[in-house]
Amino acid sequence: MLTLVALASLLVLATVPEPSQAIVIYTGWERHALVGTEVRLSCSFFSWRWTSEDVTFSWTYRPDGARDSISIFHYTGGVPYVDNKGPFRDRLEFVGDPGRRDGSILLKNLEFSDNGTFTCDAKNPPDIVGRPSSVRLLVFEKVPIQAGVITGSIIGAVLGLLLLIVVIYYLMRFLVARRVFSLNVSKHGKKKKEGSQQRQLWTPPPLTLAPRP
Amino acid sequence: MLMLGGIVVVHLTTIILLLIATIDNAWWTTDALSTDLWGRWELVNSAWHYTNLKDYPEEYLQAVQATSVLACIFAILSLFVFVAQLFTLPKGQRFTFTGVLQLIACLCIMIAASIYTAEFHANEDGAYGHSYILAWISFVLTLLLAITYLVLRKKSE
Repeated sequence: MLTLVALASLLVLATVPEPSQAIVIYTGWERHALVGTEVRLSCSFFSWRWTSEDVTFSWTYRPDGARDSISIFHYTGGVPYVDNKGPFRDRLEFVGDPGRRDGSILLKNLEFSDNGTFTCDAKNPPDIVGRPSSVRLLVFEKVPIQAGVITGSIIGAVLGLLLLIVVIYYLMRFLVARRVFSLNVSKHGKKKKEGSQQRQLWTPPPLTLAPRP
Repeated sequence: MLMLGGIVVVHLTTIILLLIATIDNAWWTTDALSTDLWGRWELVNSAWHYTNLKDYPEEYLQAVQATSVLACIFAILSLFVFVAQLFTLPKGQRFTFTGVLQLIACLCIMIAASIYTAEFHANEDGAYGHSYILAWISFVLTLLLAITYLVLRKKSE
């Protein structure tokens, strides 16, 4: 019985077609950073093949509004090559781990001219057919407040507070009426002693022992 | 009966004025511009264009937006509470809840108009538009209505 199952599974596996050889590259969609700080642009890939020794990563940069892109980083043959002539010289660092399929780079000392699109292309021979993925970098002077966040939070907070006050008010009235709370609530403008009032208005619930049979 | 009708009419008018002040983008106007709180209308080549507000202090703008919307909400709420209290209040009592809500609405629109006056268009040419003026008029009306509600007593007959 077991040999039959083993043979059948082998047959099935043999007829399964080879998985499609496309490499899938992942970067972020957008990165926000403050001017003068550093930002890590991550890039990783998925491939059906084992990570080969000839794996390559390359990053290109296209400034906002420009048509052409320039190459700023290349990793091949186990050696990373960073930009030493272009806009990112001395500001680019390779922080990825190609063995773990990570080709991330670190940009330091950001300037406003760094706004643009960064494209990562990874190749894992023989798995080379794939689409490069892009991440957009936005450099801010200060962290922007999204539209409507403060408006909504002020409105929500005030209405919530009002609701809370109304609920507490009605709860207190309910509890005082049920005499769970003994407050010095006087109807005629005079304060009565708490003890005497209690003795007059509150009769203790009947506590009787069960009669002996 | 007449007084009741008069109060309700004034309250409704106040609500309408508050809504116009909040919704209509006419807090600050020049010959070719009508702006705030939500967008800006500019006259370019004899055609009006609607654009987003930019180069404004974000926090103050959103605070003005929030408080003017809150003023509308509280004014409408106080009208409903007034009608409810007309039926449920014991005779001889004051309409305190209505008055308090109306007072909060008054406070909100005052905060909105004050922040706007202090922080926006400090050194520019132009004039305050009709929404701004209606905001201050509604402040006066809500204050009067709040005092009325806090003083008025339900008929005890």
